[in-house]
This record gives sequence, structure tokens and C-alpha cells, in this order.
Amino acid sequence: MLEIKNLYKRYGKFYAVNGLNLAIPEGEIFGFVGPNGAGKSTTMKIVSGLLAPNGGEIYVDGVDAFKHNRQIKEKIGYMPDFFGVYDDLKVDEYLDFYASIYKIKDKDRKKIISDLLELVDLGHKRDSYVDNLSRGMKQRLCLARSLIHNPKLLILDEPASGLDPRARVEMKAILRNLKDMGKTILISSHILSELAEMCTSIGIIDSGKIVISGTVSEIMQQIYSKKVVKIKVSDKLDDAVLILKEFPFVDKITVGENIIQAGFDAGDEEMSRVLAALVGRSIPVVTFAQMDGNLEDVFMKVTKGEEQQ
Amino acid sequence: MINPVLMKEIKVKMRSWKAAGIIGLYLLILAAVAWFITYLNNNDMYSATINPQFSIGAYTGIAVIQFILILFIVPALTAGAIAGERERQTLDLILCTKLKPRTIIVGKLLASMSHAILLIVASIPMFSIVFLYGGISVLEIAQLFGFYMITAIMAGSVGIFFSTYVKKTIAATVLTYALGIFMCFGTLFIAAVYIRVFYNYDYQGYFPLFFANPLAGFSSLLMDQFGGQYGGLNFIPGLNFTNPYGYKGTDPWLINIYVDLGITVVMLFLASIKINPIKRNIFSFLKRKRKAEIIPKPN
Ligand SMILES: Nc1ncnc2c1ncn2[C@@H]1O[C@H](COP(=O)(O)OP(=O)(O)OP(=O)(O)O)[C@@H](O)[C@H]1O
Ligand SMILES: [Mg+2]
Repeated sequence: MLEIKNLYKRYGKFYAVNGLNLAIPEGEIFGFVGPNGAGKSTTMKIVSGLLAPNGGEIYVDGVDAFKHNRQIKEKIGYMPDFFGVYDDLKVDEYLDFYASIYKIKDKDRKKIISDLLELVDLGHKRDSYVDNLSRGMKQRLCLARSLIHNPKLLILDEPASGLDPRARVEMKAILRNLKDMGKTILISSHILSELAEMCTSIGIIDSGKIVISGTVSEIMQQIYSKKVVKIKVSDKLDDAVLILKEFPFVDKITVGENIIQAGFDAGDEEMSRVLAALVGRSIPVVTFAQMDGNLEDVFMKVTKGEEQQ
Repeated sequence: MINPVLMKEIKVKMRSWKAAGIIGLYLLILAAVAWFITYLNNNDMYSATINPQFSIGAYTGIAVIQFILILFIVPALTAGAIAGERERQTLDLILCTKLKPRTIIVGKLLASMSHAILLIVASIPMFSIVFLYGGISVLEIAQLFGFYMITAIMAGSVGIFFSTYVKKTIAATVLTYALGIFMCFGTLFIAAVYIRVFYNYDYQGYFPLFFANPLAGFSSLLMDQFGGQYGGLNFIPGLNFTNPYGYKGTDPWLINIYVDLGITVVMLFLASIKINPIKRNIFSFLKRKRKAEIIPKPN
């Protein structure tokens, strides 16, 4: 449904999107995850036709997005991360305006708008001024707006940001509804657990590149082909690291405050040998535990974050 | 074809009584001015006949007031049209629809100056009353309103142009007025210097730069309509309507209209290119085919 090949976007010398590749099959909800400044919004804007890239190709439903710019726009519904509303329109007039842009016939328009308001649970607000809606309502209205021309592909840039937990759950329910309606959805978020629950697959983006992508379980497997062990020591952190490095099957050692995380490509026996070595050389080990992989860890592992760019 | 952007804004604007109030007030002021001019000219209370001279005076008076008003309000109305959408973060929501950039530009232009257009149209009856008193023909009123409309749209497209190229409404407004002032007065200055340096003030005819000067065009129109009976503008070199050896051919105000139309087309064209996210500048438009430049950053 959406295919991005080798996408580049440059701001001055800085590459906000740096050779990004992505393919989303029809009917998927694809979660786009990455730290602040990774290039999620930039990518989504380029796909929606709001930014010109410096290189790359995009195909939506098999159609070249740059050759057939307007045709693409009929297939895409875009919801930006930040947006404003016209303060002088009522909810149904707001949707009516966007409906008129797509030349939806008057007799269909009423029904479409009613259905959409029903979908995003704003039916009771149709006569309110858009400006008087709460943040969550505006967000849902914007989602309804992006659906007005019945697009196949939805590009939603952090649709749940700034929402309270309840509104989040509601937003999630709406998205699930949309999936059932057969839409393909590209959604970005910072909240991984939420995405993991909702998305059929996930791509983690960092510094303008997809670092890893696949279904949640695939990603887990890819990263955690080995065991990950968390070792907490009360002192002698550096010595502990040196000892760990002596074992060839230990790698990916990351060090935090009194905490070491290490990958073990080994069985239980080898693990106990390492522990024995640590204790035997009088490292004050507090805990030595194998971790369950979760998405947050994956995220921390594969991304560098803004500060280190 | 109906422009959705225009329709939406008209709907909103016509909802409030403010528009009607402003127009009513404006017409009252125009009527008062017309009456006052007639009164000044017509002190002879016992005269039974109506002198067309008086109605011509009233006509000129309100025509000039209305023209100055157009030059003042249209930039203020239009300069914020696109910049305002950008500031309110609603621009992307229109740009990501299938609406053509030029449709958005034209829609915003007409919508933002709809009040000005309404003022102009609403004043037509006022001028018709003057017409009833004689001395002015329907053709002359039509010429006047044609000139109003074209000038207003030209000023509006300058406003829209700056509104797309400058991010902030304030900056766009300032630049629009600056260009307007240059067209009205800067051209006079340039002409004066040029004619002083190269002709030593002995310039017979119509200085070409004045074809882009709305005030010159408007003066030319009134002169043309009343045969210069209120005196020419001979004190400004190069702005010579009455000189028999000077400018010949098409009336200067008519050329002014063509120039205004040209400026309008260029401004709106540039604005449509700028607003199109895929073609950000005129060079990429000229290039026709966008060449993808791929310079991978070494990581
Ligand atoms: N107009 C611009 N000019 C210069 N740099 C920009 C511009 N827009 C974005 N950037 C840079 O591009 C990078 C990617 O930005 P982008 O908004 O795509 O990140 P993001 O992944 O959406 O982050 P967030 O999670 O904070 O929304 C950032 O480093 C940002 O500073
Ligand atoms: Mg973002």
C-alpha cells in the first residue's frame, strides 16, 4: 500500500531523513516509533505531499507519489502532529468545508459527516464551534477530517499525544475500527506499549533511518536472539565490566549507574560460571538476573536519542 | 466552478452583522460627502435648475475617496490571508487536500478582499444617483468601477504574494504597503530624478513608469472623463495628460489596467508556486522535471 524507497530530506547540511526504506502492506497498522527528532514527522509530511524530499521514491497503492501528486492526495488522509482549527466554524461546517474540497455531493455529504461524527464520537457536538472543543475532541475532529474523502491510507502523526488515558483508549478503539474498515494506517507515537498492542507491525526510526522493523515478536527475536542479563553491583563497576569482557560469549555490554546489561550467547552453565567469576573476584554483586525483552528496552537499545546525534 | 475556500469564508463572513454595519456606515459617509460637495457648489438656493457641474463635483469627490479607501484597506485585508493560515496552523490541512495551489490562492484572494469588493459594489447605487442628476454617463460609471475592481485585485494579489513569501502577517502587511507606496509615490520620485537628469525637466509626454502607478492611472481616468476641466497635473513632470504633443494612443488609464492585470497574474502565479510544497520556487518550476539528488551522509 505504501512503499518508501531511499528517502532523503536535508535541512542545510543536516539529514532529517537519511535513506529511509519502508513497505507497508494493505490493511496493516504500522507503528512508527523513534526518539524526538528522528524524522517521523518529516517522513509523514513528505508522504502526504507537504514537503519535497531531496531524493527517493514513494509509491502509494502502486502510484508514484511525485509524478501523480494530486491523485495520491485522494488516497491519503493526513493528520498532522500540530494543527489549528478555524475558530469561526461549527463542527459540521468544518467537515462540510473539507467535503466541498473533495466535491462530495450534497446529498451524500450529510450522511458522510454524520457517520464520521458518529465514528469519532462527536455527534453531540456538531453544532458547537470548533474552537470551543477540548483538545481531545479537536484531535478526533481532525481525524474525522482526514477521513472525509474515504482515503485508503491514513497517516496519523501522534494522534494520541496530549490526550488523557481515557481519551487514549477511545482513540485506540477508533483506530481499531478503522482497521476493520480496511484502512492501512501509518501511525507515529512515543508510547511503545500502546503501539505494541495496536499495531500489526512496527518500525523503529532513528536519525532518519529505519533501524529495525517487523512485527513486535519478530523485533524481539531479532534483538534478543541472546539472553540479556542485568547485573547490579554495589561497587567496582569497572572491574565487573573487565571481567565480563573476558568471556567470549558475552557481548553488547552497556553500563548504567551500578547496572550492567549484557548479552549472553550461552546456556545456563556458562552464566553460572560468569557469576562465580564475578563473586570469586570479590565484586559485590547485588542482582544477576535474566531480563524479559520488552519494547522499551528494544527502543533504548536501537536508538541513540537526540542528545547523541 | 465554485471555489470551496471562497465559499467557506463568504459563508462565515456574511454570518455576522459586522459586514452589513460597516457597509451601511460607509455608504452614509459617501452620501454625506456627496451632499456636502453639492452644497458647497450650490449656494444659490433660488436656482431652480440643477447644474451638472455640481454632480460632477460630487462624483469626483466620492470617486477619489473610494479609490483611496481601496488602496488603504485591500493590502490590510489580503496580506494576512496565507500567512494567517500558516500562523494558525491550518495551512497544511488545506495543502494536503487535492485542492490545486492556484485554487487556494485565488480563493484566499477573493475571500480576503470580499469586504472590499462588497463596499465597491454597494456604492454603485450611490454613483447612480449622481448619474440621475446628469453630467455623467453610464459608460463613465462602468469605467470607474472597472478601474476600481482591477486596482483592488492588483493590490490584493500583491498582498497575497507577500503573504505566501513571508511567514508573518505583520511583515507581509508592511511589505505590501511598502510596495504600494513605491508604486504610488516612489515612481513619482524616480520620474522626477530621471527627467531632471536626462531631460532637464523638459519632458513632453507620459512617463512609462506611471503605467504602474494607480494614482496616475486614476487621475488619467478622471481627466479623460472630464476633459481636464479641473486642470492637468502638469506640475508633475512626465504626468502630462493634456499635452497635445505628448502621449498619444490608448488612454493611460487603460494601459494602467493592462499593467495591473499583468502584475496580478505574475503575483498570483508566483504565490501558487510558493505555496505548492512540491515546487517551492520558480526555478524548480522552470526545471520541469525534478531531479532527485541523492547525497547519502556518511554515518
Ligand atoms: N523546517 C526545518 N528546518 C530545519 N530543521 C528541521 C525542520 N523541520 C524539522 N527539522 C529537523 O529535522 C529533524 C526531524 O524532525 P521531525 O519533526 O521529523 O522529528 P520527529 O521524529 O517527528 O520528532 P518528534 O518525536 O519530536 O515529533 C529534527 O532534528 C528537526 O530539528
Ligand atoms: Mg513529530
